[in-house]
Amino acid sequence: MTSTTTVTAQRRQRPLFRTRFWAHWSAPAIMLIPAVVILVALSLFPMFYSLWLSFNEWNLGDRTATWRFVGLKNFITIFTTDPFFWPSVRVSVTFTGVTVAVQTLLGLGIALLFSEEFRGRGLLRTLIVLPLMISPVVAGLIWRFMYNTDLGMVNYLLYLLGIDKVDWLGRQVSAMPAVMLADIWQWTPFVALILMAAIQALPDEPFEAALIDGANRWQTFRYLTLPMIRPALMVAILIRTMDSFKIFDLIYVLTLGGPGVSTQVLGLYTYKWGFKFFQMGYASALSYLMIFMMVVFANIIVFFMRRRVD
Amino acid sequence: MGLGWQRIAWLAAKRLLIAIIIVFFVAPIILIFLTSIKSRVDALAFPPVWIFSPTFMNFEEIFELYDFGLYFRNTLVAATASTIVAMALGVPAAYSLARYKFRGHSNLAFWILSIRITPPIAAMIPVFILFRNLRLLDSIPGLVLIYCTFNLPFVVWMMRGFFEDLPIDLEESAMVDGCSRFGAFARVALILAAPGLASTAILTFLFTWNEFIFALILTGTNARTMPVAVQLFMRETGILWGHMTAAAVIMMLPTVVLTFFIQRYLVRGLTFGAIK
Repeated sequence: MTSTTTVTAQRRQRPLFRTRFWAHWSAPAIMLIPAVVILVALSLFPMFYSLWLSFNEWNLGDRTATWRFVGLKNFITIFTTDPFFWPSVRVSVTFTGVTVAVQTLLGLGIALLFSEEFRGRGLLRTLIVLPLMISPVVAGLIWRFMYNTDLGMVNYLLYLLGIDKVDWLGRQVSAMPAVMLADIWQWTPFVALILMAAIQALPDEPFEAALIDGANRWQTFRYLTLPMIRPALMVAILIRTMDSFKIFDLIYVLTLGGPGVSTQVLGLYTYKWGFKFFQMGYASALSYLMIFMMVVFANIIVFFMRRRVD
Repeated sequence: MGLGWQRIAWLAAKRLLIAIIIVFFVAPIILIFLTSIKSRVDALAFPPVWIFSPTFMNFEEIFELYDFGLYFRNTLVAATASTIVAMALGVPAAYSLARYKFRGHSNLAFWILSIRITPPIAAMIPVFILFRNLRLLDSIPGLVLIYCTFNLPFVVWMMRGFFEDLPIDLEESAMVDGCSRFGAFARVALILAAPGLASTAILTFLFTWNEFIFALILTGTNARTMPVAVQLFMRETGILWGHMTAAAVIMMLPTVVLTFFIQRYLVRGLTFGAIK
């Protein structure tokens, strides 16, 4: 007898519970689900699709060609016989390492210079930020103009010093540094801007105490400023490394990876396999390796930054 | 006395450094602007001429000689439409993530962020094949759809931060007064987060306005956007610097103007809300 009543009670309660659950969660669900559905469709599906594609061979240029399962062949070819894969990795890693290092140091210097009050600081700070807001395509165009052999500003400055014209983007030795300089021009303001904000948000008291204790500029910077802006520095370096490693547009406009393969970063190399040679399987395999490397880099940076703080 | 001189030298050195930095970052942009208003002869002069009579010939010619009007319209329509779509879908989702801490909500948020970090070239291959099959290649709707993959995560992350900054009491008292959950969102949270909404929308618009890779691969002659068109001119025409720089100035103009408006939220926007 008693057991039946409990069962009925439970039965009665259940719909009530459901309504409450629904009353609480319907609003957030309705607000969240459309975005999640779109993102799954636009990202998760393509990622699995291209993962599967990377184990296949498919020439999109040949209309009659169909998918052919080849297992790990694409990956094996990339690692063993592909003559351009490792050079591209080297170019990408060098490019990322040099640009991020220079941008970080230069950005930090600029942020420190601008941390003191002076007339016109606000306006000058806005001006410095401009390069990072313009399209990388426009930045590429600007620097193609700057590097132009016959009428570029760089050669004009050298001409004023009595030095002969140089074809900056057309020579193996100078193309890479030239591309790096353009990237440094565009993204140093990014690091500077983040660090300026971090420095501005610092409390005054520790600095006043340091001044009273007779700490010099270097000591104040090394033992006060630097540790306190470390989180911001980490965010800046992390974002810059990710973006620098996947660079495409700036180099596409400046050199298209040339001369030879001297500026051919991984993104550009993958693009060529996909949309010049139409080998979709091979390009998918390359793109997966690129994602894998980015994940590894991100973890290395986070690991080192964390260890230093502890 | 000696100390005084040292201080003056230090100050002068700092001023000089600041001047060099400003010139390095700003001069290339000014140079492009100057070249765009030079006549063809002046633009090709070496050494460059600094005093010349300005002309808007280049601006007129790019609209007359090429389809620049079409590319401008495409870019404007694609950027505006995709900003609207991303905001419409992303803002409610951000509110939901900020206010309802269901199990796995932070995992979901990080998954959304990871989409933004993925190199676009990796997504490009499957998206190209998908679009080819759906006949979405070289169309504005296709472009708007694909721009959601990077705009939507951005909007969700930015707005989640802005909503989390709002005190929850106001929404709660609105609900006590009879507002529904949607009402609390629409009538209270949205109004309070208005500056955040505006700056998120502006940044989304600018990112899309500047976008290159997706537009390069997914568009042909119909839906081509300005970044792709400009880069094509450069290859087709060799060096018509007057035209190139005029196009570059048109592309830079909205970014320069809008940057002044969103300065306060720039750092936040560029770091996905990691730094406020």
